Amino acid sequence: MHDRPGRTRASAGDTVLTFLRRRAVSAAIPLLVVLLGVFLLARLTGDPTALYLPESASPADRAEFAAANGLDLPVWQQLLDYLAGIVQLDLGTSLRTEEPAAEMVLRAFPVTLSLAAVTMLLAVAGALLIGSWAAYRPNSPADRTSSFLTMTAASVPDFWLAVTGVWLLAVVLGVLPTSGMDNGVLSWVLPVAVLMVRPLGVLTQVVRGAMVSALSAPYVRLARSKGADGRRVVTHHALRNAAAPALTVAGDLAVGLVNGAVIVETIFGWPGIGKLMIDAILQRDFAVLQAAVLLTAVAIFVLNIAIDIGYALLDARVRDVATV
Amino acid sequence: MTSAQRRAAFVRARAVLVAAVLGLTVAACGGQATAPADTIRIVLPEEPPTLEACDASLTGTGVVVRSNITEPLAERNPTTGALEPLLATSWTQTTPTSWTFTLREGVLFSDGTPFDAAAAAHSIDRAVNADIDCHIQGYVFNDSLETAAPDPTTLVVTSDTPDPILPLRLSFVEMVHPSTDADGKVREPVGTGPFRIAGWEPGTRLTLERNPGYWGTPPAFARAEYQWRSDSSVRAAMVVNGEADIATGIGPEDGAEELGVSFPNNETTALRLQATEPPLDDIRVRRAIGMVIDRDGIISALFEGAGTPAAQLIPDGVIGYNPDLRPEPFDTARAQALMDEVRADGVDLSAPIRFIVRSGLFPRVSEVTQAIQYQLSQLGLNVQIQMMDSAEGLEYQQRPFPEGTGAYILMIQHGNQAGDAAFTLDQYMLSDGYQSSYGIPDFDAAIAAAEALSGPERHAALAALFAREPEEIDQYAYIAHMRGMLARSPRVHYEPDAATGDEMRLAAMTPA
Repeated sequence: MHDRPGRTRASAGDTVLTFLRRRAVSAAIPLLVVLLGVFLLARLTGDPTALYLPESASPADRAEFAAANGLDLPVWQQLLDYLAGIVQLDLGTSLRTEEPAAEMVLRAFPVTLSLAAVTMLLAVAGALLIGSWAAYRPNSPADRTSSFLTMTAASVPDFWLAVTGVWLLAVVLGVLPTSGMDNGVLSWVLPVAVLMVRPLGVLTQVVRGAMVSALSAPYVRLARSKGADGRRVVTHHALRNAAAPALTVAGDLAVGLVNGAVIVETIFGWPGIGKLMIDAILQRDFAVLQAAVLLTAVAIFVLNIAIDIGYALLDARVRDVATV
Repeated sequence: MTSAQRRAAFVRARAVLVAAVLGLTVAACGGQATAPADTIRIVLPEEPPTLEACDASLTGTGVVVRSNITEPLAERNPTTGALEPLLATSWTQTTPTSWTFTLREGVLFSDGTPFDAAAAAHSIDRAVNADIDCHIQGYVFNDSLETAAPDPTTLVVTSDTPDPILPLRLSFVEMVHPSTDADGKVREPVGTGPFRIAGWEPGTRLTLERNPGYWGTPPAFARAEYQWRSDSSVRAAMVVNGEADIATGIGPEDGAEELGVSFPNNETTALRLQATEPPLDDIRVRRAIGMVIDRDGIISALFEGAGTPAAQLIPDGVIGYNPDLRPEPFDTARAQALMDEVRADGVDLSAPIRFIVRSGLFPRVSEVTQAIQYQLSQLGLNVQIQMMDSAEGLEYQQRPFPEGTGAYILMIQHGNQAGDAAFTLDQYMLSDGYQSSYGIPDFDAAIAAAEALSGPERHAALAALFAREPEEIDQYAYIAHMRGMLARSPRVHYEPDAATGDEMRLAAMTPA
């Protein structure tokens, strides 16, 4: 690509800053839509008063509760107060526990983040290994077996897998704890395995497809014809080209892990953001629900930027497009 | 890298992999946490939202707090039904509206502060008279109380109107430290119970430890550790796997096998028929509904025999239970004939009737709901199931009910923890009861008259009301007196009783 007349190529630092600025602007609108959506939908689910007040609560008690928690204001006023609170980093107080919602969310978030990070790391590594191996000998029995297994893995419900895993590995074989976080690395095995199954299945298929294309590309055939070692062709030539589509899919899957975390954290008793969200929905704990969604949305935004940066590092065309 | 170097690197990588797998296996075989011998481990369906003692009538809170961290003046024996002394050694009715309690001497709060009449008065005022919206208001107390502490061991409690069961009502008030905020709730109370709070890691675990200054017999276990898992099969698996000693709220299908212990849990399941809405406003329709519920079939097929067919809203053992009442026989032909009569009178039966059920109300609630929907459809009623979560369901369960909703049937489950039918009648059968949809003035007056009585007369009058209600009002189609189930580890002795669902006394648990 040539420079335009009168313009000089931006420095690497400027490029990244421009890229981040554009991504921030383009992410702000969906972020706002999500916040508004959750705020309004939460209020459509009903009044939390009945849950938090005794049966005998008089209309005056109910009015007092509503006033104390800002529920008596028009919805637009509640929304403005909420947005003003965000600006001041005040995300409200939990109706259920009377703790600051921000504290609850910040306590839960690292649990989910670490679970998701370990899951994605293992899923990506596993997918690269299995996908490359399957693509190296396409249509061999090993390839067909791995395709069948990964397609199955991508479609098994998390809930079924979790309960079956507990029954088989904890109760029948007794090699893993059923749940909780008390048993060190063993506590991680079942939750990570359950969360990993779908990303591993999907990613393996993506990597395999990309690798099959890459391995049949002219430059790989050329490298092979020059006598390059098979393993080196895969790791140094084909894999680099197959990594970009895998990274994109991995990003989407990482975002989807928040949904998976709801089931896995609930079943395995991990006090993460997914469990917190479910509890907040069931208890009509608006402040906690909003805080959890806000933090998750911001995390997804950051994750998407990280993916874009990774993608740009792998593919020069993306870098250039980002700054034009 | 030469091929020899590559081979060496590959061999090293393989060795690392094998070592890692072996390490994991060894850890797996011996790495699980073992229980300290002096700790009892309990797994609950949910984390207590708070340990505020005045909210101990909430199941999630009460099961941890009541008679473990805090204690009341007197407590009801769940087996005999008798009210037994606890922090009060005796009580007597001194005037029609006043009761005088003599308090136990030498009782200390877990921080060493003495328990006395002033502390008891503070606890009652806080729970009954204050504006902090304790959950026993409405359920236990509708009026305010006056308290006086003429000396450290004498407490006088006066009600607005004569109350023959005031000591029983006061057994719902847990005694809290005199410094406890009177104008706001606290998450962690200080009480006189055999245990005190040792630590609460939100979201993860709650630990209690023996109260060293406890006035009674020290409990066998020095510590209690509560965790929570929302999936019942995981709770059962934790006991089977040796990770917990007691798991509550499990069903017959959860895999506890021989570790599962069934017990009467005081709960009765019924359908509340919104009798103000057509076609449920016709008593013949309500009667026909009662006739087509196959109680025996539901109990044997879906509860696996854990329950008995119900003919009233309270189980045996509660004052006012009527042993002569028999469940409506399952009789589709009679019900059809009744419906034909209704149709012949020109009543429109085509309107949709919502069947509102709280998901998770009891194990296999979905299957029971579907079975009942099918049975009601046999009558030609247009019944549509609507599963709701607790918060949504509460809107239909408690007054003020939503308006303009059309006809609906609500699945309810009522547990009378207090052991007296007054607590049931006031809520579920008065015209304006918090959970009652319908009533008549005559019956309201009869309830008030019966509740003013005491002794055997009271029991007989209350029992007569349960026989009369289906004749004149018929607001409920009863299903079953339920049984609960918990999983119990072989390392623990504990016999659950009718109060276990609301109050699980750690002092009753001993090592096997």
